[in-house]
Amino acid sequence: MIRWKDQQSKSSPGSFSGKHLKKQHASRRSGWSALLFLSPTLVIFVTFIIFPVFFSFYLSFHEWNMFSSETSYVGLKNYTRMLGDSDFWMVLKHTFVYTFGTVPLNMVLSLFIAYMLNQKLLGKKLLRTALFAPVIISPVSAAVIWRWLYDPNFGLINYFISLFGVDTINWLNDPTAAMFALIVMGVWKTFGINMVLFAAGLQAIPDSYYDAAQIDGAGRWAKFWYITIPLLSPTTFFIMVMSMISSFQVFDIVYVLTSGGPLGSTKVLVFYLYEHAFKFFEMGYASAVAYSLFAILVVMTLLQIKYMKSSVYDAV
Amino acid sequence: MISDPVPRAMPGTGFSLFNSTEKGYDLQKFILFLFAISILFLIIFSCDSSEKQPGDKITITFWHSFVSSTIPALNELLAMFEKEHPEITIRAQYIPTGDALIQKLITAVQSKTAPDISWLHSDFMQDLVEADAIYKMEDFISGPDSVRREDLNDIYPALIRYASWRGVLYSLPMEATNLALIYNKEMFRQAGLNPEQPPRTWEELHEYAKKLTFDKDGDGKFEQVGLFLPIFPAAGPLSSWMVWQWLPYLWQADGEIINEEQTRVIFNEEAGVQALTLWQNIFNDIKLSTFTTDYDVAFASRHLAMSMDGPWNLPRFEKMMQNLDWGFAPLPAGPKKSATVVGGEYLAIFKQSKHPAEAWKFLKWIIRPEIQAFWSMKSGYLPIRHAVSKIPEFQEYLNSHPNFKVFVQQMEVGQAQRPIDFYGIEITRYVAEAIEKATIGKVYPKTALDEAAVKANKLLSSVAERND
Repeated sequence: MIRWKDQQSKSSPGSFSGKHLKKQHASRRSGWSALLFLSPTLVIFVTFIIFPVFFSFYLSFHEWNMFSSETSYVGLKNYTRMLGDSDFWMVLKHTFVYTFGTVPLNMVLSLFIAYMLNQKLLGKKLLRTALFAPVIISPVSAAVIWRWLYDPNFGLINYFISLFGVDTINWLNDPTAAMFALIVMGVWKTFGINMVLFAAGLQAIPDSYYDAAQIDGAGRWAKFWYITIPLLSPTTFFIMVMSMISSFQVFDIVYVLTSGGPLGSTKVLVFYLYEHAFKFFEMGYASAVAYSLFAILVVMTLLQIKYMKSSVYDAV
Repeated sequence: MISDPVPRAMPGTGFSLFNSTEKGYDLQKFILFLFAISILFLIIFSCDSSEKQPGDKITITFWHSFVSSTIPALNELLAMFEKEHPEITIRAQYIPTGDALIQKLITAVQSKTAPDISWLHSDFMQDLVEADAIYKMEDFISGPDSVRREDLNDIYPALIRYASWRGVLYSLPMEATNLALIYNKEMFRQAGLNPEQPPRTWEELHEYAKKLTFDKDGDGKFEQVGLFLPIFPAAGPLSSWMVWQWLPYLWQADGEIINEEQTRVIFNEEAGVQALTLWQNIFNDIKLSTFTTDYDVAFASRHLAMSMDGPWNLPRFEKMMQNLDWGFAPLPAGPKKSATVVGGEYLAIFKQSKHPAEAWKFLKWIIRPEIQAFWSMKSGYLPIRHAVSKIPEFQEYLNSHPNFKVFVQQMEVGQAQRPIDFYGIEITRYVAEAIEKATIGKVYPKTALDEAAVKANKLLSSVAERND
């Protein structure tokens, strides 16, 4: 501990100016060596993230089926085709329904649970771990489990509702129920991470505020409404933006749980993109869809910053 | 909070690279040394095993998607081939089937790492031929290591049709499959039906399906369902499996998906409407909309009386349903004729292969009748040619395996789909959407098929424009 502090003070900015030239040389060399050490990651990052981002933008103005070695320039054709495709508007609608179904539910649930777990509670840690578990489970195996739960003949959910005399619902094969089933699973899968974020936000609120409110005679509800909610607003804002983005990108659970069915009622934007890219091999068209998803997300996020930011307290 | 310098915490938590004792430092050096050595060994050994084989054996890579229960049979088959051809080693590699397989093949062709031989499905043929990725079989058939025309003509015509694209043979079948009706004999007895007389016509199929469906405890819900119809999401992985099972009904009414000239689809004509109406009526009458899609679990747990399936599931069913009295029967005949759908896996040789002649040896070997008989008995797949049935050993096997015999006999009425030269994947998807709409969506079969046909014809006319 002490030795570390010594090293810190030796290389403090005060001693820097004296050996100016030599230092600069050394730092340049260390810059190269840093690059060398970073190179494996950099190569992977550039090849699999940076390059595809730009290549996909390039492709969105071309036609390419992945097999042929050349692409043909088609201008804005992919984009105009997309805007004229009724399926595109349908999947966009489904994506909005999914997002506005999951995000509010998700936030209310995760805030409620985080608030409860912030109280003095027996077995709090165990409970927190259990509630966080769905986040860690692979989405595919989780969706397989939910397929069983939703099964009309062997599923636990139908067994449970039959105890109350409700008729069997074929959750995943009924066009009116499937989206609801998907939303429920989506919330279950993702609320854990928001719960942890809310819990951290709650911990950061100083007790003194609550103590002061107590003296002023505030009840539990008033404290929650006038202290917790406003002081939590930066966390809430962050969670809202992030959940919005991730629910717009939902794919894996849709693929395994409903495959976009029945009658395409759960087909979402990324699923549509996947189909065109890897089933019909229309890479150009799929890239155009991807870039429109990007544009939608940018606009949505900007709108949220513009209209929500004013209600976020920066006091903490 | 973030402004705290993170490394300050490190010494406190005992990050040993910085404040280790002399002894600890040695230990670390030693561990690092071991680590480096093991990586070195890994690199050396992995390089060594990649290309050069002792004795200059030629290695043929073979991509396939056989299910794990078939792998032991495949290994026996490959061992047999290697024994007869000591200069060749076959390296079989499992690749997931369907979408994954075609995606992997594309990537491999693009990156020049294609296998020597791969199994294909017929709807991949267009893409692979247009990319000039696979050989024409004619290059080998008329080559120095030729195969007799009689041998090729002995293969079931349906399989040759699938193995070709636009009339040119690009692959050879390795095995055949088809579709039959599986039924629970015990349930037939309970419903007062003759268990040795499964349905022979569409009317009987419909009637039996209703008779075998009932509500045991009177709660308004069917505990037992007579027939499972494969209604899956049209965009899902089981979509083509659904269409595949619908095709025999289309043919039994004398229909087709596309016309001979490949200019327009004809699945929305009378035959298609009849076939889809049958499915719609059965679907509604026995309330399949609230029935599980896990049909094999439902069958094994006595919730389902009839379903359709292929021979590849025979070994699994025999193990899974030992305490059940079940059997396979030919598909019932339609208003015009008997038909079942034939499938199979087709082996193609890639142009990137360094040893096409050796790869061809494997293809040529595998279509020999005695090899087909051996492979069929071991794997449960059906032989690809007529001649196999004349082998006494195989006849004996059939007599002791009645369920398997049903499939082999059905090969005679087995039909292949008329290949769709362009947009096969899309057109199959539209048919799937129509089936889903008519059953789950309760749309009139004619309306659903017409909508699909409009979309399909639009694509086909774009092909015509391109070719003009």
